[in-house]
Amino acid sequence: MRISLNEIKKLVKEAAEVDADEIIKLIGSRLVEVEEKIDLAPKYAGIYIVKVVECEAIPETHLHLCQIETPEKVQVVCGAPNVRAGMLAVWVAPGSIVPQTYGEENFKLDVRKLRGYESHGMLAAIDELDLGDDHEGIAEIDPSLKNQQTGELVKPGDSFAEVFDLNDIILDIENKSLTHRPDCFGLVGFAREVAGILGVEFDNGNWFANDLQKVGENVDITISDPKICQRYSCAVLEVKDALEGDKYLTPMDIFLAKADMRGISKIVDVTNYLMLMTGQPLHAFDYDKFLAVGGASTAKVGVRLATNGEKLQLLDGKTIDCNENDIVITSNNIPVALAGAMGGASTEIDASTSRVLLESATFSLYNLRKTQMAHGIFSEAITRFTKGQPAFQTTPVLADAVAMLNGNVVATGDEVADKPESTVVKITTEEINSLLGTSYDTDLIVKTLSNVGFTVNVVAGGVAGGTPDGRSEASTAGESATTGPAATLTVKSPLWRTDIHIKEDIIEEVGRLLGYDNIPLNYPTKPFIGAKTPELLDLKNKIRSILSDKLNAHEVLTYTFVSKNLQEQVGEDPNDSYEIVNSISPELQRFRQTITPSLLEKVRDNLKSGYKDFSLYEINQVSKQSYGKDEDGVPQLYTHLAFVTVGDFYKMKANLVALLKDLGFDTKKLDFRAYDGHFPYLESLRSTTITTPHICAGEVKKPVLKRLKISETVSAFEISLDDLIKEIPEIHASTINLSKFPSVERDITVKIAADTPFSAAEKAIEDVFVASDLDVSIQPVSLYQPEGDTKNRNLSFHVEFKSTKKTLESAEISAIMEKVSENVKQAVGAEII
Amino acid sequence: MQTVEEIKQKIKALNAEYAKIKDIDPSERKAFGQELNKKRQELEKALQDAIDAAESESVEPLDVTAPAANNAEIPVIKQGSKHPLMTELNRILDIYVKMGFNVMEARQLDDEFHMFESLNFPEGHPARDGYDTFRTEEGFIPPAHTSTMQHRALKQYKKDLEKGGQIAVVIPGRVFRNEDVDATHEHTFYQCEGVFVSKDATMGQMLGVLKRLFEEYYGQSLKIKTQPGYFPFTEPSLELLIEKPKSLGGKGDGWLEMLGCGMIHPNVLKMAGIDPTKYKGFAWGGGIDRLAILKYGIDDIRYFESGKLDFLKEF
Repeated sequence: MRISLNEIKKLVKEAAEVDADEIIKLIGSRLVEVEEKIDLAPKYAGIYIVKVVECEAIPETHLHLCQIETPEKVQVVCGAPNVRAGMLAVWVAPGSIVPQTYGEENFKLDVRKLRGYESHGMLAAIDELDLGDDHEGIAEIDPSLKNQQTGELVKPGDSFAEVFDLNDIILDIENKSLTHRPDCFGLVGFAREVAGILGVEFDNGNWFANDLQKVGENVDITISDPKICQRYSCAVLEVKDALEGDKYLTPMDIFLAKADMRGISKIVDVTNYLMLMTGQPLHAFDYDKFLAVGGASTAKVGVRLATNGEKLQLLDGKTIDCNENDIVITSNNIPVALAGAMGGASTEIDASTSRVLLESATFSLYNLRKTQMAHGIFSEAITRFTKGQPAFQTTPVLADAVAMLNGNVVATGDEVADKPESTVVKITTEEINSLLGTSYDTDLIVKTLSNVGFTVNVVAGGVAGGTPDGRSEASTAGESATTGPAATLTVKSPLWRTDIHIKEDIIEEVGRLLGYDNIPLNYPTKPFIGAKTPELLDLKNKIRSILSDKLNAHEVLTYTFVSKNLQEQVGEDPNDSYEIVNSISPELQRFRQTITPSLLEKVRDNLKSGYKDFSLYEINQVSKQSYGKDEDGVPQLYTHLAFVTVGDFYKMKANLVALLKDLGFDTKKLDFRAYDGHFPYLESLRSTTITTPHICAGEVKKPVLKRLKISETVSAFEISLDDLIKEIPEIHASTINLSKFPSVERDITVKIAADTPFSAAEKAIEDVFVASDLDVSIQPVSLYQPEGDTKNRNLSFHVEFKSTKKTLESAEISAIMEKVSENVKQAVGAEII
Repeated sequence: MQTVEEIKQKIKALNAEYAKIKDIDPSERKAFGQELNKKRQELEKALQDAIDAAESESVEPLDVTAPAANNAEIPVIKQGSKHPLMTELNRILDIYVKMGFNVMEARQLDDEFHMFESLNFPEGHPARDGYDTFRTEEGFIPPAHTSTMQHRALKQYKKDLEKGGQIAVVIPGRVFRNEDVDATHEHTFYQCEGVFVSKDATMGQMLGVLKRLFEEYYGQSLKIKTQPGYFPFTEPSLELLIEKPKSLGGKGDGWLEMLGCGMIHPNVLKMAGIDPTKYKGFAWGGGIDRLAILKYGIDDIRYFESGKLDFLKEF
């Protein structure tokens, strides 16, 4: 929304005395964010009103050679068809920038020769002045127009900007922050806030002061449900030349241009002007067509919900299928307009229109919001209607429109389905101050609220009146009974404040108008209780440290939504996913069930970028339909850790074991079992399942990799952290008993059948030492399968052992090694070599 | 400089001198002995220096600018990385925890009730449109703000209020908006929400806490300012701006919009079973991505979810 600062100053005299930047700053901090400040003055500098005194056609061209009075005589070549001697025009002097190009290419005029004639600057058309789209001819000025700055008739040499009030600053306002303030969508309402911010009382002047006089017939209006339309008012008046616009460039054109609207015809301009001033949209129907559609001699105006599929052709020529949320205006029950959104083609005003029905109404913002979405209509009017325009203003604004159009009124109507009422809120000064953390006195609060139209009565206060909560120590004996800190106020909202319902709304007004930035900063007093981070968050951070800092993996974040295609490629069941119905693209359609597939895509991209040996991991939430719902009835979510690495099973396993070890698991006890098939994309024969904690880990299936266009071996594991956290061992202070006696080191190589598990051989060795009560550490050194021998393999271990009680004698050592040899033979049929 | 051999000879000669001690007058023995000891120390020092000097002649100098010796394998230190968004989020959480806030993580799939109704958005209110939410077939919503957790936080920590304490909780999480992605817009991003409720919470306290948060985060004192905002779940509602910090090139002018905040609407408290006539609260929420973007000078928000190692290796 665009707000002219000059219009604000016209409505609030005190604002004229405050520096523009200061006002903008105050508006920003106490009303709404100002997104941009647009200074018009430099854009319209060096542009003047001039009189064309001579105008001769240049032969064989469409050009005219003009002498203009600036008041000095200057020669200009002009190509416009409407240029003629005696007219007042707008001259962009040499050295000035054509406004249409201002801020972009900044085209600067000079003196140049056209067809051999010197031309100084140019006579400008409306579009070149950036005040409209008209390029039919040059802008013409009404000689009876008064200079807005001096009050005298315009004369050659007058600054264009002065005459048309263009030494102005336009504020571009962020609409979203005013969603709850329909009144601020009109300049009057906005100015009222500026007055309030400056601490002065706002005077509505003539706005909202006139009421519609009942003249002629009473228009029959039926509102089917007060919920869809609180009030519908209208007036029927006679008009002449309904489509005619003014041939001159008028102050109204400029007013509309400042709001990014364009002058069209008198009727449209007046309705737009009043909407911009008051926030109340108006609509004009051709009254005779309205009657004809309804087939009745008098108007039967109806406001009702459309039926599903009901057809309506709109002003833009499109025929829409209405739905049951749309509100329609009907003539004798036949739809003629989509209420609040757009008029219908059947009642469109045309050149022959002699009577118009002017509508001023309010509609349910909820219905209009759905209409806006369903039919994609985003106009200035519906933007206002969807804020919920106050119903009190329909007739005053209509009265202003009737007066401005100056036509003979033949009928009026006003149906109030739900009477607009003020809200009265009872509140104490203390309640206001205790929520804000301020110590504003009652007088200041009363004045602040009164300035913007609230009616405030101080009903009780201080010691004399008692206070609602019995606290009176805040009042001192000298204070008036009605102005003490505990004074009770009844605050009656003005009719344009439809957003006031509860105490907090009043507190907001006081805090905001007096400036939140003036609130003294403070801290809560906190009881001496330490805060806790959730265990899951601690676990996540611990895992991140281990994987990134120790295991050289890279943490990535990938989208929660994946494509159905990806799920199919990795073998997941897309139907088990929650599906996003309004996704941006098919790539982001399904809530993911696991994270690994997303990481595989990133592995592919990074391989493509030339990286060869890397690991990626992500910790995030997953869900699927088969998980069911939690106690709130929302989908059960789990937090997963997924890890993928370019490399085989054993590289991934080394990382997994290191991670689990750092998380406190006894990795010796990890039970690597045959894969349970939990994730469809892991290769069964090259994957494993660990039961406690439940982890599935393995190489990604070759066909899956191929579909994802990955040619390297990639391995992965994915863990539910919600499950893992339950299995993490508590850390006990273990007795660390370092033996004082020397340890013995031996290398052992066992030859076993190729299909005997490594762990069996390792255990066969370990058991001997455990049984002998020795400390032992067994490190695998190599796994070797001689070329050509597919039946056997050689496993080499480096074994280090010692007694905690004594130095081992060589005879004892030999005996132990003998037992090892025996045991591996017995347990796994291996021989020591 | 003397050679090692020469010094060794001298030490030998000196050792012989010690034998003379017994021939010396007892009253002078002490001084004589001390003299010999001193000489011996000097020689031993000289011997060590000579040995070191001789050794150093055989030490091969190296090219300290090279990554490895000639013919040797170049050592590679592999380094992993943590995602910058998670790192910033954790820094923020650390500050909050020190300030006394509990942490509760947000969920990534929620419903209309938590996302809107429990936050005092009337059904069908246009304010719901501002959030551009995604929806699932079943009507669930990947939340568009971490405020979706407010109702749960209030209910979970209500017992602290009843025990005479306060509700002080922050809620980090991943949120989603249905908008097209470009260098400055993402449909997936991170936010952190804060909720505080006590018997005497004020707006002054809220502004004090938030100022302190950013001062801790940026390690300097900062000016703050506010502008009125509109959220159905707070009344009054504000946007908080902070002075551009020095570390981001701030020179005392310039403001950064950091978060939305306000006093919790009585209806929101009521819906969670908290009596708004007894307790007041404030709540706020802001983006994490922006903090990381500003801090690391990231020019394209799409890097965050790109999984590109080129990007991740910078952290």
